[in-house]
Amino acid sequence: MTEHNDIIQVDHLNLWYGDSIALRDVTMGMPDRQVTALIGPSGCGKSTLIRCLNRMNDLVDICRIQGAVNFHNKNIYANDVDPVEIRRKIGMVFQRPNPFPKTVYENVAYGPRVHGVEDRKQLDAIVEKSLRSAALWDEVKDRLHDSAMGLSGGQQQRLCIARTLAVEPEVILMDEPCSALDPIAAAKIESLIEELKTEYSVVIVTHNMQQASRVSDHTGFMYMGELVEFGTTRQIFEKPHETLTENYITGRFG
Amino acid sequence: MSDDIVALQSQGIKPAARNIKEGLMTSLWFFCAAFAVVIVFFILVFLLYNGYPVFSTIGLSAFLFGDTWDPSGFPPLYGIFPLIVDTLLVMALAMLIAIPLGVASAIYISELAHKKVKSVVKPAVELLAGIPSVVFGFFGLVVLTDLLRVTFDVPSGECWLAGSILLGVMALPTIVSVSEDAISSVPKEFREGSLATGATKWQTISRVVVPAAISGITAAIILGIGRAIGETMAVLMVTGNAAVIPSPIWNVLSPVRTLTATLGIEMGEVSVGSLHYSALFGIAVVLLVITLTINLVAYKILGKIRSGQTGMGVGGRRYLSHETADSLKKYGIYVVTVIALLFVFIAAGLVVGLVCVLAVFLWFILRQKLNPRQVQYAAFALLWAAIGLVLFILGCIIADIVINGLPAISWEFLTSPPTDLGREGGIAPAIVGTFYLVIGAILIALPLGIGAAIYLNEYTREGRVTRTIRAGVDLLNGTPSIVFGLFGFAFLVLYLKFGVSLLAGQVTLALMVLPTMIRTAEESLKNVPMSVREGSLALGATKWQTVRSVVLPPAVPGIITGTILSIGRVAGETAPILFTAVVFSSRTLPTSEFEPVMALPYHLYILSTNVPGASLNQYGTALVLLVLVIGLYLVAIIVRRHYHMKIHW
Repeated sequence: MTEHNDIIQVDHLNLWYGDSIALRDVTMGMPDRQVTALIGPSGCGKSTLIRCLNRMNDLVDICRIQGAVNFHNKNIYANDVDPVEIRRKIGMVFQRPNPFPKTVYENVAYGPRVHGVEDRKQLDAIVEKSLRSAALWDEVKDRLHDSAMGLSGGQQQRLCIARTLAVEPEVILMDEPCSALDPIAAAKIESLIEELKTEYSVVIVTHNMQQASRVSDHTGFMYMGELVEFGTTRQIFEKPHETLTENYITGRFG
Repeated sequence: MSDDIVALQSQGIKPAARNIKEGLMTSLWFFCAAFAVVIVFFILVFLLYNGYPVFSTIGLSAFLFGDTWDPSGFPPLYGIFPLIVDTLLVMALAMLIAIPLGVASAIYISELAHKKVKSVVKPAVELLAGIPSVVFGFFGLVVLTDLLRVTFDVPSGECWLAGSILLGVMALPTIVSVSEDAISSVPKEFREGSLATGATKWQTISRVVVPAAISGITAAIILGIGRAIGETMAVLMVTGNAAVIPSPIWNVLSPVRTLTATLGIEMGEVSVGSLHYSALFGIAVVLLVITLTINLVAYKILGKIRSGQTGMGVGGRRYLSHETADSLKKYGIYVVTVIALLFVFIAAGLVVGLVCVLAVFLWFILRQKLNPRQVQYAAFALLWAAIGLVLFILGCIIADIVINGLPAISWEFLTSPPTDLGREGGIAPAIVGTFYLVIGAILIALPLGIGAAIYLNEYTREGRVTRTIRAGVDLLNGTPSIVFGLFGFAFLVLYLKFGVSLLAGQVTLALMVLPTMIRTAEESLKNVPMSVREGSLALGATKWQTVRSVVLPPAVPGIITGTILSIGRVAGETAPILFTAVVFSSRTLPTSEFEPVMALPYHLYILSTNVPGASLNQYGTALVLLVLVIGLYLVAIIVRRHYHMKIHW
């Protein structure tokens, strides 16, 4: 754990939706080039927390935040920080695959294009590289210019991952990326996550404990808006310090 | 326990009787729904029947392409080519104004406006739809044309440009509300996906959201065009009405005359059965064909969106390789820009042309230099400017009429009949007449509308029958109000011998609002979830029992909203009653359904076009009409909002 610096540090974060509190005093660090999983029962705040990490919660009108999220030791909620710049460096893959109603190619090229890459050859290269990294290239290389809506759910999700990779972020946030997929598609995403961590830091939210134990290096267990316990995945699943964690891991509630 | 069961059974109606009742109900609703189709058919037949002589006498091509419209000349000439050209010119320029403003406002309302701002701005734009066209025409006549006359230093401001500005403003609410619907129904996942790649809000809007909503926006524009082509009173009052093609063709200050205006002006004075009379019906047929085509296309697109087959820019067969498409797109922009600039040069002269070239040049340079954030600032500034302009126009119209109209309002003005051709005295008979027209029209349209909606939504599956009926309703909805007026005149006034009467006006107006009624009632029925019906049917209730006791009640607020909107529309319309129901000055109220009445919009029309020196009473009448109609719209908006908040399914 010590050989990896934390790329993101969450520091005493509180979050309210209107009057109801959704996150209470969360403090944790996401190590660089590791997979960090957030687990916990529905409504525990894990999705809320992950959406704080690249300021996607800015889109929710009634959302209010206190505390800090430090990325490279700089608070991303500081006044002089542009959320757009943050999201370029901290990409996100969502629960349901959300490809744009464009071609496969245009989906992947979207990010580079909005960041000013116009050259066709360069774009071609980025698209191929991203699709290869997302383990999708072989399946779609002959239909790059067909609608992305025609892909299967698992392919769409990998396309969304490719789309995220295309802007070369440092961190990839995944909000239950497999929950809308069948087990085979989910397995492909899991092995993909394994490969991604050589180049990227990954934070994944999942309600599937087996998934967390398979893919992650560190795990945080959340309950009722609080981070109950955070440690290496092995420690959390084999020797949890808190009874609450143990009860959840062993399936006594949740 | 067993006694209860016996009691229940004995109270129940016998199955046979029940079946008869259910069958009666079904056929009643079917009749209501079929009515719309029958009416469309009737309108077409009557227009064609009355218009036929002109086609057979002078021939279709001489009628359509003849270059002179001069029904009172020797010999009279009935060529409507200049009218068609003028109609298209007025519409095209109006769209040039309305499309950018409308789409920008829709984007603002859907994507940028804060919730609270939105709750004010959206109804405000909808209010624009509530202003009666005769009030627009009045405003155009006294303010806009004067402004143009002074600005361009021409003898008269009644011209193509004036008509296009007015029509552009009038088409705005349609374009804004339909586009806004399309834009806000783009799933938020698309926005999140785009933002998560670090795209700015503007990049997300311009590259993902708007392209995904493009079919809806297209439909909005087409509907706006339909609205602009079908409009009568406002254009009639400000375009100068000379049946000439502007010379040169880009002379926007030339007077023009549209198809609708020709009907509005000449129908009242023509002798029934003459070739001129027939020619006017010929014009109505042409008008109907144009608007119906436009509307059918729009509804086809909207229907496709609804059934989820929307291409959203991809899918389907691909005829070009993507590289070709790509370069086409790239060079297409340059080609379009150059053509547009050439057009500006020809139309607006050297100076304006050079300014535009400079602006385009600057834009192309700046686009390379600016970062996305700055582009976003520029884009948002333009969006704000657009919505600001729309609200400013709305404010100007309302402020002008309120400020100038208030001094005219007095107890006497509201309660006494007009004297001296309306220069003096009040407008009491017109208020009462409008009231009568509204009551009658709603009493006819409401039951028919609800019945048709019940049939369409509850009693049939989607199939050929519903498609036909829906198409009929859509066609009726797209029919210009002046065409209803012509139909009312030919069918009700002459054929059924109602004479120019309250009854003829009420029926004509009822036909005009029927599609709105059906639509809103159907929407409200659709909002009642299926589970409620299943719950009732599972208890052994019959279809009609279910509809009556669990489906209709929650749909009532929606139906009320629709009714109020229809009342507003009926109260403000002039064209349908022009030849069917109204008389200009009458000191007494009608004593039977077969006498003509005064009506507020018609009174305003005559006062402002035919009575010199009635300035104060013009404004007074306009204010009363505006307050009445806008008041009704506000009530509708409030009812809608109230129930939206209260009903949670």
